[in-house]
Amino acid sequence: MALIELSSITKTYHIGEMDVDVLKGVDLSVEAGELLAIMGESGGGKSTLMNIIGFLDSPSGGAYKFDGEDVDHLDDNDLARIRNQKIGFIFQQFNLLPRLTALENVSLPLVYRGVPSHQREKLAEQMLKRVGMGDRMTHHPPELSGGQQQRVAIARALSGSPSLILADEPTGALDSQVSQEIMDIFLDLNREKKITTVMVTHDPKVGRQCRRTVRMADGCLVEV
Amino acid sequence: MIAFNEIVREALKSQAAAKQRTVLALIGIVIGIGSVIALVTVGQMVQLTSEQQFRQMGTNIITIQRGWGDSKAGAGKQDRQGEMITWSEAKGLAKKFPKLEAVSPYTSSWGQPLYADKSLDMPVLGVTSSFGNINKLTMAQGRFISDLDGYSFFGVLGAGAAAKLRQRGAKKLLGETVFFKGRGFKIIGVLNRAEEGGMRPFEINPGMMIPIHTSFLFKQNRSLTEIMARLAPGMDRRKLAYSLEQYFKMYHPKLSIQVRSAEQLIAEMAKQSRLFTLLLAAIGSISLLVGGIGVMNVMLVAVSERRKEIGIRRALGAMQIDIRAQFLVESVILCLAGGVIGIALGVGAAYVLAKVNEWIFFVSGMGLVLGVGVSSAIGVFFGYFPARQASRLDPILALRDE
Repeated sequence: MALIELSSITKTYHIGEMDVDVLKGVDLSVEAGELLAIMGESGGGKSTLMNIIGFLDSPSGGAYKFDGEDVDHLDDNDLARIRNQKIGFIFQQFNLLPRLTALENVSLPLVYRGVPSHQREKLAEQMLKRVGMGDRMTHHPPELSGGQQQRVAIARALSGSPSLILADEPTGALDSQVSQEIMDIFLDLNREKKITTVMVTHDPKVGRQCRRTVRMADGCLVEV
Repeated sequence: MIAFNEIVREALKSQAAAKQRTVLALIGIVIGIGSVIALVTVGQMVQLTSEQQFRQMGTNIITIQRGWGDSKAGAGKQDRQGEMITWSEAKGLAKKFPKLEAVSPYTSSWGQPLYADKSLDMPVLGVTSSFGNINKLTMAQGRFISDLDGYSFFGVLGAGAAAKLRQRGAKKLLGETVFFKGRGFKIIGVLNRAEEGGMRPFEINPGMMIPIHTSFLFKQNRSLTEIMARLAPGMDRRKLAYSLEQYFKMYHPKLSIQVRSAEQLIAEMAKQSRLFTLLLAAIGSISLLVGGIGVMNVMLVAVSERRKEIGIRRALGAMQIDIRAQFLVESVILCLAGGVIGIALGVGAAYVLAKVNEWIFFVSGMGLVLGVGVSSAIGVFFGYFPARQASRLDPILALRDE
């Protein structure tokens, strides 16, 4: 069964008097366990699509089924709950909270799930060890390199055992060697844990390693 | 919504991170709460102290004075016979009202007695022996005025008057002579300092007391300033006041009298002091308002500085209410911290004022509860708007923030 089922998704922004159609009818189906790369030029609507898939934004038109459920009539709290329990976000700029230690950052999604602190720490520790950051748990993000920060961010995305990992240009801020290390983590997770991953990238090297690639251009999606 | 202790933990971390700003925001609250606490405490201390002065003398004291109520005489005609309380009514009072345990009429006049040819500005009181008893006066030297002194020219000095005489060079006070209205008064006693306030005539310490009959020599009509009396326990003050009025009406149909009891004065004072405290608290509230606006400002800055953080938290699954709770708790913790420091400073200031002014020092429980309550309330009130603003941020826009 498809985990993500988008049909004729449109998104229109109203900028002043003008209506800007960012998505012009996107159809996309992602099976559980897939590793999908969405490629394309910037301004093509990739991020908007990611936000809609990740329940940060809602489409102007079309239907979105997630895990077999219609999700177009959910309120803000429902969306927050789905983001918390089903989605793991990874960002280009890592988006860790600089005041918190790596361990605290990783356990943050669990805070909003109401997991007690000792259990949270245990889970977060496991995740950090899985991404090879077991010896940096009490470091704060500014003390870590970009690659290390992205590892922590991946651990954070994994800590809630989500059904879907959404990565927006996860290697965009890293040099090519570190990029590959991060990419290897994604590949491992997908292969071993069957974690469904959707990744936005414009790096062809990254795109090539994903089993399936789609291209986004001018608000439309083309299978490659 | 996530558990409360989690929110508090997060809030404490954020506060610790923004030290400088936290401190600046605290100052307003500290000053506000501190001044409210200090003012309220001082108000209560003053009240307690003056009540204590009454109690020290006994709350069963009344004073009878000529009232101003329905006297139709003009200001210049106050001394007209028939409109003043005089010695003869006072004399009959004890017989007519056996429940008055002690009756002490006195006269007072302000004059310039002379000592060693130098004029001393002091009041002169004409008293009976019961005056010493009812006012709980104690002797430093010699004896007090006795009822057997009759028309003799004896004087007893209050502590302040004695000091004045010493300043003018009197070595031993007993036996010295003070001239008043052309007559020499021999000093037969010196009083210890009497506590001021309460029902006590203020003239005691700075004045000289002479036998009441002697004082009548200088007055045409044997009129009295006031009659002090002590009540037997369990007397109905209102009934007494009424029958006293009737009693004086028998002698002077046009005279209205005013009976004041210590209890009544205490109640009046308490009322006034409450008003005073309220007024002071209102003034303190203005600084609290300013402090609260400061906190709101700090919280608004915090929200705009932490848009990215808000976006991240929202992406990770924080609901609007979680974000709102987070900022609200931060603002309450900020205000509470300021409140606690303010309470400490306010109590400290009240302590210093109490020591300087010889008031009875005590920490008002109400003040503490008020301080903690008010500072939390300010945190909620002035934190609500910024917190709501934070919770309503669009997560996408917030995430895009740098």
